[in-house]
Amino acid sequence: MKIAVMSCIHGNYEALETVLRDIEQQKAEKIFCLGDLVGYGPFPSNVVEMIRSLDIPTVQGCWDEDIVEGLNSCECSYPSVLAEQRGKFVHEWTNQHIYDETREYLAELPKTLLDGNLAFVHGSPQSQHEYLLPELNGFIALERVLSTGADILFCGHTHIPYVRSLDQGQLQVRVMTGVETLNAESRSFNTDLKRIVNVGSVGEPRHGRPNATYVIYDTDSDQITMREVEYDYQKTCAAIIERGLPAIFAWRLAKGMEYAERADDASHLCERGV
Amino acid sequence: MSIWAILSGIEGNLIAYEAVLADIKRQTPKVTDLFILGDVINANPASGKVIERIQQPRSGELVAQVCKGWWEEQLLMLHGYVQPIEPNPLMEKYGAATAKQLWDSIPKETVEWISNLDFGFMELDCLLTHGSSINVLEELTPQSSPLQLFDRVMRTQANRLFCGRSGQTFRYHIKDGSVSSTVITLDGIQPSQSEEASERYIIGVGNVGRNPNVSTYTLYSPNTDKLQFKTVRYGSGKGFN
Amino acid sequence: MPLNQISPQIIAITGAPGIGKTSLIRRSIQENPSEKILYFSPGAGTVPIDSTQIQIEFPDVQILTEGQELELIEYVEQGAIAYIELGFHLDLSSGENLLQALSEYRTERIAIVPKGLEDSEWYRWATEVRTAECNFDLDQIQMWRSPCTGQMFDPNSLNVIWYELTQGAYGEVCRCKGIFDLPDGRTFYVDYVSGDPDSLYLPLKLPRWLDGRPTRFSGIEVMGRNLDGKAIAQSITDSCLSDEVISQYQQQIKQSLLVSA
Repeated sequence: MKIAVMSCIHGNYEALETVLRDIEQQKAEKIFCLGDLVGYGPFPSNVVEMIRSLDIPTVQGCWDEDIVEGLNSCECSYPSVLAEQRGKFVHEWTNQHIYDETREYLAELPKTLLDGNLAFVHGSPQSQHEYLLPELNGFIALERVLSTGADILFCGHTHIPYVRSLDQGQLQVRVMTGVETLNAESRSFNTDLKRIVNVGSVGEPRHGRPNATYVIYDTDSDQITMREVEYDYQKTCAAIIERGLPAIFAWRLAKGMEYAERADDASHLCERGV
Repeated sequence: MSIWAILSGIEGNLIAYEAVLADIKRQTPKVTDLFILGDVINANPASGKVIERIQQPRSGELVAQVCKGWWEEQLLMLHGYVQPIEPNPLMEKYGAATAKQLWDSIPKETVEWISNLDFGFMELDCLLTHGSSINVLEELTPQSSPLQLFDRVMRTQANRLFCGRSGQTFRYHIKDGSVSSTVITLDGIQPSQSEEASERYIIGVGNVGRNPNVSTYTLYSPNTDKLQFKTVRYGSGKGFN
Repeated sequence: MPLNQISPQIIAITGAPGIGKTSLIRRSIQENPSEKILYFSPGAGTVPIDSTQIQIEFPDVQILTEGQELELIEYVEQGAIAYIELGFHLDLSSGENLLQALSEYRTERIAIVPKGLEDSEWYRWATEVRTAECNFDLDQIQMWRSPCTGQMFDPNSLNVIWYELTQGAYGEVCRCKGIFDLPDGRTFYVDYVSGDPDSLYLPLKLPRWLDGRPTRFSGIEVMGRNLDGKAIAQSITDSCLSDEVISQYQQQIKQSLLVSA
């Protein structure tokens, strides 16, 4: 069976429609969505309504959470003062252009979905705000997959798709317990192939081109395909400006902004738990 | 030379704390630093006495460096200093009566003092904290997943993580490891890489006040990397709790 | 680039944006030391980026601003050497009155002209034409500029703005330059010319500013087409630090300076 996984639609209805058409052409039978339905883009409510009407299992993204809970993400998750100011502006804008019912739907989204040996999260199993970058330390990456109990962890949040295979993981440890009489033992751990699949972004790609990205996983052949789909991004750009969002978001969308603004230290020490 | 005494979980047990302080004074070479990794209090009125004792060390005694623990976090949650968690861990574990007792046991000024406690300490290459590097409430034990333990040390750039939540004394030494990693992006496949794990330690520092008549704590010398778990027996065995 | 052998006393320079007018003046000051040197750049208004930089590099050079033309003439009478820089945004005739008034002194009029540009009023104006690479069209170039004095920039935000400016987010930018204060007390000169692969980031030789908001000059100047000045201004506003954050930074820096001292 083919499963389509998409993320980070960010109120870009045009991109979502095109991707849904592509998913149909690819004959995927099931769709999962990794959150961030709103934010940046001009049609937050329409995107949410579309996802709801198709009954697509969805996890909550950081923007979805913020719209519900208010901007409670720790300050350290903003990479710059400018990003923070722009984020706050769009947050306010989205807040005003969203129905209460939509807000309720977003509030009730789970943070993690499990389906057999597959796990679905927005950022990482630990936090919607954590970036699982392809260069993350291999053991930490492995920990993120194992903490879900799955073999493949699907995530988004970075807006740049990748597939990372972690194979032949092994750790040697020596454990001492007790106080007066110490017991010592050696342990050895081995892991089979685990994968992290970042599905990119439908509505705000950052891989250097304006095209939408998502992923198809074929459970029978165990094959993962990264899809890059052209859509009429000019339409979304025009709507961004027309609906009163900062023009800079239109520019970034048209560029497929590689220069992603992201928190420098994805694994910073924060009392909120990342 | 530095010798650190690291303890956790006094849990309002003043007699146990006195016994451990006395044991610390007896050590040669002399203990130079005293760290208390949280759970100074518990839902009992004696907790206030322990805090007073820590706030006002006698002459010649070390000034303790204290960070937050599970109980302090529960108290701060009750008083609205930190975001509540659903379901509430205190209610789940001990019930509403204990929550009320905790509220009643700790005076307002003391709550204020507790709210200013640190989350942990970064000393040399050691992180000292109650739970883990991501959360005061997280319990790390020798049975925790090795990758979870590795992650909790790694993410702070520390080599050693001292923690107290489990109450156990243990030394978990990650000796080595490897994993091979291959990344495919839209631009194609990147050469696969083998990553090696570097040595890390997770140390459980014991518990002072939870078990009647017996306390455990940890001595550590950062200069020589010598680690020692200490047991202190006190009282007549009838229990002072 | 030495000037003519019989050194002129008045050196007037004009040319395309980013083509090297100020650089030529700086080199010339360095290579032709003199007791009294003047620098005059009319039209700099409240954003005197070049003269600020020259003043920092050459503390003995006297900077004159618009309205001080008479002073300039007096100094020249007493033997001073005067550099007069006419920015691209100025009409070429705008310096003419002053140059006429100084006509009895040896004057060199240098125009730095893009290679391949043949018909230009610069040829009629100059006594010497030099050519240099210029990778953009000079048609319809407009200028947007703003002082930023008193502001301290979040460094990451400044990087974002600079990236956006140079990549065309606010219109087609041919040249932008600025002097910016950072919360660690340092001041940077940043310079971009379209076609160059990298921007120049130059820390200025100034003492660290660690007490509140700086009173020394900082500012930005952008040359290009279809510039969205309002959007640039908004991004700048959104990138500056609050009093509270500035004072936090300054305390930290002071402490770390104490420790390392």
